[in-house]
Amino acid sequence: MKDISHLLRVAGIFVLVVAGFLVVRHFMVPKSFGEVGHYRADAVDEIRALKQHYSGDAACPACHKGQSQEKAQGGHRGVRCESCHGALQEHVEQPKSVKPGKPKESEMRSFCGRCHEKSLSKPPKFPQQNLKEHNPGIACDQCHPAHKPQ
Amino acid sequence: MNDSYLETLRAALAQVSGFIYPNELELQWSILIVLYPYITGLVAGAFILASLERVFNVKSVKPTYRLSLLVALAFLLIAPLPLQVHLGHPERAFEIFMTPNTSSAMAMFGFVYIWYLMVVLLVEIWLDYRREIVLWSKSETFWPKRLFYKLLTFGVDNISPRSLEIDEKIGRALTVIGLPSAVLLHGYVGFIFGSIKANPWWSTPLMPIIFLFSAMASGIAGVLLFYMFLCWLRDEPIDMPCIDTVAKFFLTALIVAFSLEMLETLQTAYEAEEHFDIIALLVEGKLYFSMIFVQILMGSLTPMFLLGLAQLFDLPEKVRKVFYGASAVLSLVGIFAMRWNVVVGGQFFSKSLRGFTTYKMEFAGREGLLSAIVLAILPLFVLAGLLYLLPPWGERAGKESATS
Repeated sequence: MKDISHLLRVAGIFVLVVAGFLVVRHFMVPKSFGEVGHYRADAVDEIRALKQHYSGDAACPACHKGQSQEKAQGGHRGVRCESCHGALQEHVEQPKSVKPGKPKESEMRSFCGRCHEKSLSKPPKFPQQNLKEHNPGIACDQCHPAHKPQ
Repeated sequence: MNDSYLETLRAALAQVSGFIYPNELELQWSILIVLYPYITGLVAGAFILASLERVFNVKSVKPTYRLSLLVALAFLLIAPLPLQVHLGHPERAFEIFMTPNTSSAMAMFGFVYIWYLMVVLLVEIWLDYRREIVLWSKSETFWPKRLFYKLLTFGVDNISPRSLEIDEKIGRALTVIGLPSAVLLHGYVGFIFGSIKANPWWSTPLMPIIFLFSAMASGIAGVLLFYMFLCWLRDEPIDMPCIDTVAKFFLTALIVAFSLEMLETLQTAYEAEEHFDIIALLVEGKLYFSMIFVQILMGSLTPMFLLGLAQLFDLPEKVRKVFYGASAVLSLVGIFAMRWNVVVGGQFFSKSLRGFTTYKMEFAGREGLLSAIVLAILPLFVLAGLLYLLPPWGERAGKESATS
């Protein structure tokens, strides 16, 4: 026994480390972890309780009938209102005091360029321009109305 | 999206050739992910060399036994760092232990790592050094060092022949367990790459074996180089029968690793599946220098030629030393290139098999060249510390102090 006492001590340390780990694990792992998957189940309710920022397109036509009809006929019919105007839930809740945003004229070329900058990887029929050469310095909506671009 | 971002995008797109998907523009696995398998490879290789003496009774490599273990430990301690730096949020690393995800090979690796570090390597080194640790804890004059040894004795200073005999037996059993653990440690890295079925450059069941044998070659080369350097530093003669034997195993590992890689390449070329054209373009183009020149010519064929000459002819000692040293350096560079070619090379071509992206390494960023250099050098500092605390040549010193 005397000749293996050092080994017993090391084994004891291992047992302590493993036990310590299990204790730490007990307190560190959130209670709801693993209830419905490899994540904290409570996170779902917490996320649900977060403030909603986006309203979705369905909220717009109630007040903005004209623009909605115009957009539905043009090339931007597949683009969500909030893609250009930003998150609108607050505007839906308080239409008078919170006004929707839109791209500034000075930033419009780079804003539109997100989709319309020329690139080989885009389908050839998709409207795209080399923005360095295409009417430099002029805001896009001077020629292409944003709701029904030509 | 601001204009400067568009400018960066334009500059990056100019480097792209052919057709690639938008998410392939930026390489996600940088030089740090090249460094990571390289370091774990050195660990596994060094440990396998140590096991030659312990498990397979190759007595002539004994002078490198302890050094191999210390090299393995020094590199193992640093091995997770490239991953941590790459991912950011090092505090989250512990979550793989807290809430283990059994379906993730990456997450399970944490357990392989901790098993190998805590159960195999640390205990084996402790058992092997225990006799000296007890002696040093009494004879050491510098108090912090004495305290360190005292703590490592765990309050037991019994070094009776019977207790040392038991240590020896357990140490041997641990090496027997450690050998498959070392294989698992590094085989896993190859397994991760080999199981990415979307990438034809990676997806092969041979990947873990190729990684393993190149790891053995790099680990053996590393220990050989450290041993020769330390002998020179300490002004001690190099044990020639020892390095001759190490060189033999080094050559064997190199031959097997190289043959497997070439077999794999040949098979891919002969099968010539739909992805072969892009792979041929990759090897002839972007990887020409790092693969054909650095990995194959410089890092594999030249060391094999030099080591082969030393085996075939009765060369003088001096020439053999130069050949061994040069082969070790060349193959360490070559195996780094191999990791580069696998990790970065595999991300160069598009999933469309119709285009290439590019990799422009940062210099000072988190995943830049500077970080990689620091992380590559760090294990050497850890090794220096370990050599200071646990000198592998301490056996003799221990015996001397025991008799005095």
